[in-house]
Amino acid sequence: MTVLEACDVTKTYREGPHEVEVLRGVSLSLSRGEVVALEGPSGSGKTTLLCILGCLLGAGGGRLTIEGREVDVRRPGRLWSIRRRSIGFVFQQYNLFPSLTAMENVVYSLNIRGWRGARARREAERVVDAVGLSHRRNFRPRDLSGGQKQRVAIARALAGAAPMILADEPTGNLDSDSGAQVLELFRSLARQENRALLIVTHDPAVRSIADRVVAIRDGFVIPLES
Amino acid sequence: MVDLALKMLLDDKGRFFVTVLGVGFAVALVLIQVGLFFGLLENASITIEKLDAELWVMARNTANVDFGNPFPETYVQRVRSIPGVARADNLIVWYAVVALPTGAKESVIYYALEDFGRWAFPWNVLEGSTADLRRGRFVMLDESAERRFGPFAVGDTREFQGLSLKIIGKTRDARSFTTNPMAFIDYQLAQRLSPEELGDQTTFIIVKLEPWADPRTVRAEIQRRLPYNDVHTQAEWTSISRRYWIESTGLGLTIFLTVSLGALVGVVIVAQTLYASTTEHLAEFGTIKALGERDIDVCGLIAEQAMFAAALGFALGLVLTFGLDPLLVQLDMKMSVTRGMAALVFVATQVLCLSASIVSFRKVRSLDPAIVFRG
Repeated sequence: MTVLEACDVTKTYREGPHEVEVLRGVSLSLSRGEVVALEGPSGSGKTTLLCILGCLLGAGGGRLTIEGREVDVRRPGRLWSIRRRSIGFVFQQYNLFPSLTAMENVVYSLNIRGWRGARARREAERVVDAVGLSHRRNFRPRDLSGGQKQRVAIARALAGAAPMILADEPTGNLDSDSGAQVLELFRSLARQENRALLIVTHDPAVRSIADRVVAIRDGFVIPLES
Repeated sequence: MVDLALKMLLDDKGRFFVTVLGVGFAVALVLIQVGLFFGLLENASITIEKLDAELWVMARNTANVDFGNPFPETYVQRVRSIPGVARADNLIVWYAVVALPTGAKESVIYYALEDFGRWAFPWNVLEGSTADLRRGRFVMLDESAERRFGPFAVGDTREFQGLSLKIIGKTRDARSFTTNPMAFIDYQLAQRLSPEELGDQTTFIIVKLEPWADPRTVRAEIQRRLPYNDVHTQAEWTSISRRYWIESTGLGLTIFLTVSLGALVGVVIVAQTLYASTTEHLAEFGTIKALGERDIDVCGLIAEQAMFAAALGFALGLVLTFGLDPLLVQLDMKMSVTRGMAALVFVATQVLCLSASIVSFRKVRSLDPAIVFRG
């Protein structure tokens, strides 16, 4: 089942007197249970595309459909409800709230999604346990290793049943062992929980867990062999 | 619900402590200044409020109760004959010079009536009886006079305008705005103390009305019969007496400036702290927005932080204010902080702290949630 469909998405930035066309007509789809790796050299527009697909940034043109509903790509200020309902994020820098424990980080994101009380708590326990951190539930981020922090971030993205997870260089700050564990976790959880997963990466190891690998070249997305 | 706002705020305990301390001092500054101001104003009109007179008659343009101007005492007969007047008596409020045992001289403000008992005045008698005042050269003094006169006891004598008067009683809470000690003496004795100004003269006529009387009608009739005098209701006279001191001494302006300064200090401290905190937590606010919160929700977090700091700062300010009260009492200063005033200051503290958040609101509103992908 297709969760996300982007057709001919364009994006142009203005740099002084010049216009830089970063995305020239990107088309991409994501289905539930699918893991897609997005590669590309620095400055190719990976992050821009991730921001547009994540409804954090408006596009210059094209069509974006999430869960069958068309998104007004030119008005990013009104897309918070789509982010809240349909998208989970995993960031390279983890972006956990340092004043909250691992559990609270997850519960807080559930609160934003409208989950409250015992229901939110149960869901948070489920995903924290699923990422293997049941023994670290009440630890704050400063007391967790990089790999553990990223697991908390993954748990936060999984919590609340968002059908699509967008991850930006999730292994970028991890050593190779931790990175491998996190990727394996990503793959199994995406399958088990039937989520669509798009990973933007430079890490060749991501290819090994991806169902599809695509790359951005000259403002277009092209398929690569996984 | 996870209260991220408070956890974020309390994460940096040092900064939070300084914020609460700053708000607390600002609140205490405002409460103490305004409390002292109202304490002084209460002194300015306490005798008007304690005397059970609905109407006051006085010489034209009398500025306040402490500065009465003499007029013929026989006017009281014209007032007494008006239908609806239950009781009308002459009241002298005047100053006298008192020679102290040390040889020093002090001034005293005295209230003189023919029958104090009929007006239940003074209202708080510690020792002695006002009925005895009419029996001779007697005086009752408020205990607060000890600060100016030194210790005195019932049975002592003091020289008033060269006339030796025996102290036959003590009162409490009878204070004037000018801080001159307050004394109570017989009406005729008052006239003997200052015969040149007060011979056959009074400075006020106080009027008690029948229960059925219409105050406006009676007042109009008094005014008709005494066209060269002013007639005020108790509330009007209270207001006039207070306003005189506020305007003539610049006290109102001073208090306004102090309160504004206190408020400004509080606002600057909270604004500075919140802005610094917001700037430090920009990545977190960006994450919150990326996770799906609206601008208004993120501003709500900052508002919650401001309101929490305001509430704790207010509580600290209240503790500081009432902690200082015993010291002020020792210094013979009266601070009047009512529940209404405290509630008003609480609301003002909240409003000002919220106003202080506006800069932070603007910062997070303009924050692009895509910041989360920019490392």
